[in-house]
Amino acid sequence: MTQMVQIFLLGMSLGGVYALMAAGLTIVFGVMRIVNIAHAAFMFIAAYITYFLFQSFGVDPILSILVTMPVMYLLGVVVYRLVFARIADSSRFAELTVLLTFSLALVIEGLLGAMFTNIYRSTNPRYATDAILFGNFYLPEGQFYATLISLALLGGLWLFLRTTRTGYAIRAAMQNRTAAQVVGVDVSRISTIAFGLGMAMAGASGSLSSFLFTFFPGKHWEWVAILLSLIVLGGMGSLLGSLVGAFALAVSAAYVSYFYGPTWSPITFFLALFLILMFRPRGLFGKPMEA
Amino acid sequence: MLLEVQNVHAGYGAGPSILQGLSMAVEKGQSYCIIGPNGAGKSTLLKVICGLLHPRQGQVLFKGNPIHTLRTDQILMQGISFVPQDRSLFPDMTVRENLRMGGYILKDRKEVERRIDAVYELFPLLKERGNQLAKTLSGGQQQMLAIGRSMVLRPEIIMLDEPSLGLAPKIARQIFDSIQFLKQGGMTVLLVEQNARLGLKSADWGFVLDLGKMSFDGPADSILADERIQELYLGRQKPPRGGETA
Amino acid sequence: MSAAANAKTELQSPGLPGSASKPARKWFLAALLIALLLFPLTNLVSGSMNYVLFMMLYIFMYIAMASSWNIIGGYTGYTSLGHNVFFAIGAYFSGVMLVYFKISPYLTAPLAGLLAMGVGLLVGVISLRTRGPAFIISTVAMILLVKITFDNWDYIGGSNGLSLPIPDLDVTISKFPPYYAMLLLAVGAVYLSYRIRHSKFGLGLRAISQDETKAEVAGINTNYYKILAFAISALFVGMAGSIWGYYLTYLRPNIFLTVLMAAQLVLMTLLGGKGTVAGPVVGAVVFILANEFFVSQLGFTELNIVATGVLMIVVLLFFPEGIVGTLKERGKLPQFLDWE
Repeated sequence: MTQMVQIFLLGMSLGGVYALMAAGLTIVFGVMRIVNIAHAAFMFIAAYITYFLFQSFGVDPILSILVTMPVMYLLGVVVYRLVFARIADSSRFAELTVLLTFSLALVIEGLLGAMFTNIYRSTNPRYATDAILFGNFYLPEGQFYATLISLALLGGLWLFLRTTRTGYAIRAAMQNRTAAQVVGVDVSRISTIAFGLGMAMAGASGSLSSFLFTFFPGKHWEWVAILLSLIVLGGMGSLLGSLVGAFALAVSAAYVSYFYGPTWSPITFFLALFLILMFRPRGLFGKPMEA
Repeated sequence: MLLEVQNVHAGYGAGPSILQGLSMAVEKGQSYCIIGPNGAGKSTLLKVICGLLHPRQGQVLFKGNPIHTLRTDQILMQGISFVPQDRSLFPDMTVRENLRMGGYILKDRKEVERRIDAVYELFPLLKERGNQLAKTLSGGQQQMLAIGRSMVLRPEIIMLDEPSLGLAPKIARQIFDSIQFLKQGGMTVLLVEQNARLGLKSADWGFVLDLGKMSFDGPADSILADERIQELYLGRQKPPRGGETA
Repeated sequence: MSAAANAKTELQSPGLPGSASKPARKWFLAALLIALLLFPLTNLVSGSMNYVLFMMLYIFMYIAMASSWNIIGGYTGYTSLGHNVFFAIGAYFSGVMLVYFKISPYLTAPLAGLLAMGVGLLVGVISLRTRGPAFIISTVAMILLVKITFDNWDYIGGSNGLSLPIPDLDVTISKFPPYYAMLLLAVGAVYLSYRIRHSKFGLGLRAISQDETKAEVAGINTNYYKILAFAISALFVGMAGSIWGYYLTYLRPNIFLTVLMAAQLVLMTLLGGKGTVAGPVVGAVVFILANEFFVSQLGFTELNIVATGVLMIVVLLFFPEGIVGTLKERGKLPQFLDWE
């Protein structure tokens, strides 16, 4: 029993980072209907920036979020303007976004490979290997901090969406694009901001991932299905749903890993993704994702 | 002339022109109903006027100034509001938040709150439901909210695309009553209506739109009385129209 | 309304006069085929053509696969980003038959194709319940699911893979069997694609890609059509896999089940022009030659991946109709390439 609780806690303590990843993806899908296959690749850019800062200047990976978030925001704005703004009126928009983000992922993978080679990397601050004890239970210190930071960032995002004018506009565009246009929201500007925001989230989760997971440029593909399954489970476009999805899958994966071994743990995500798409394409919370 | 549409051609993406040289004129304080078969371009016309779609040719003048190159928020600022077909609310926001979004382009938050109170006076029911999510309202209430939301900007012209769509006849009449009310308050009303009889009855002037052009216009009651138009557009056992699938 | 009008004119085109007799095209294709059949013989004379033969059989393979992908991705409008699953299934089936039962992949290739088709049918029944982005995502998930299964399946070698016996042939003729096999597959796949394009079935598929709801209203059993199209599009991919696996002589999940490979299939079809018969062929030739050029000029593979991605973005943004589609749109398609 203690063991079961311990596994539950381990799962939960990864859930926060997953939730942060899913939130970025959900904003981008919610506002623009972009299925961002490249989200993990963007995360990896941030992970490599963090790695570089850590190796060269000894910057703490958590602190480097202060660098990766703005950098990724700007990168997101540029990418949105260069690529997605051009196809905003296309009748094949949804399909095009999948193929375009797919291509972007290839470009990123190649560039990272050329710059950092294909060797496994990770940052190893002190807390990456330590554990914190809570009575009979322990939590890896890195996971614990990462989840705290993630929850803080998600809280900040929530406040931003709930209280600011731009936040309202973003939510409005997520809920009904036409209605947002009709009340005078400049949807193309809001889309740019939202894409940037999604990328900033990817930036933060990339920095945190740098000490939680190992990475090499081609590894982002393994993340694609994990990320997609998180938000598909929650219902694409629903922020709350994606958070619940993230925690649920993180915990399930922890159990699968315990019972069947760590090599099978990724299959939790792929299988969940496949099954949800088949039997409940609208996810647990959201609307159908065909539009 | 308050609003003039001159020889407008417009269509979506690379597709064919839906509007093909359409012209119309709207005077202050009157109410207008646009009728016509499916695919004639009624909704497209409203989208062009409010800047959701830019014409390929021709122009739109508001108080003599061209507005057809402006963005929607700029046109809203000038005083033209649009309530689109499916009511287009923000389903996961409360009634009050929806109204607040109605004043999105106004920077003064206090002023927006004041105007929301004014809308509440007009539609007391919305006040009662202020904290309810928009998606929990009934169809008629949602339409009321959509109209109320566009009232926050106190527009000079309000355009409504099929406000009665999907509503029970009794509710539809209530909506039309409140539209009448707006007009009495000095607002110019431009209405697209599938239920042509109901629409024309509540309007001063009627436009008949067909194949992207204005095929006829005149006082609403004379259109209602015109036998030929009755035959063609008012659905007295409409003959099947060739080539129409949408 | 406009979509319906488009669909109408689009759907009428195959029956129109002009597609019946195109002597230039006929002679061009006949001459090309004879040349391709005779070409390997030059290696008997010079013995230095092995690299060229390899490039050609590689191109044939991708012609066969891109033409097959085009049936579901082009005609039907369902973008599959997981077609190399069928490639892997074909390769592993024939590989296992060779290693454990000593049956040559040239004999088991048709069976491998049928097996891929069967799997396609099963997967299709499930994943074609979705459409749009959900479908694309489900196909990506399919690759990862199969990869993780193969990685952990000891009978077929797990993640270390399966080594096949090397065929014992003199080096001058060692490329002949795969060359002719791939040529046969390419010709077969293109012919199949052509026949489907001009059949009632193909008409239904294109109706689905235009507007699925309307196609259904028009009395097309869209579900049956889609699933069948998906299964058929797996057939030649499976066969290509079994030949290619034997040619490589080793099978490993992380060679056969990469998302990059699936992307390349999509890209070459888009590049050539999806939904046309000639498009995938032109796309495969141009793509592989360009790729070879990048590799020889840029050297290492990372920049090659970048080039693939950039090329794909440029095509998607500026030439969504592809080479054949764009030329056709401008009325500049040379007659020998007009295979409609």
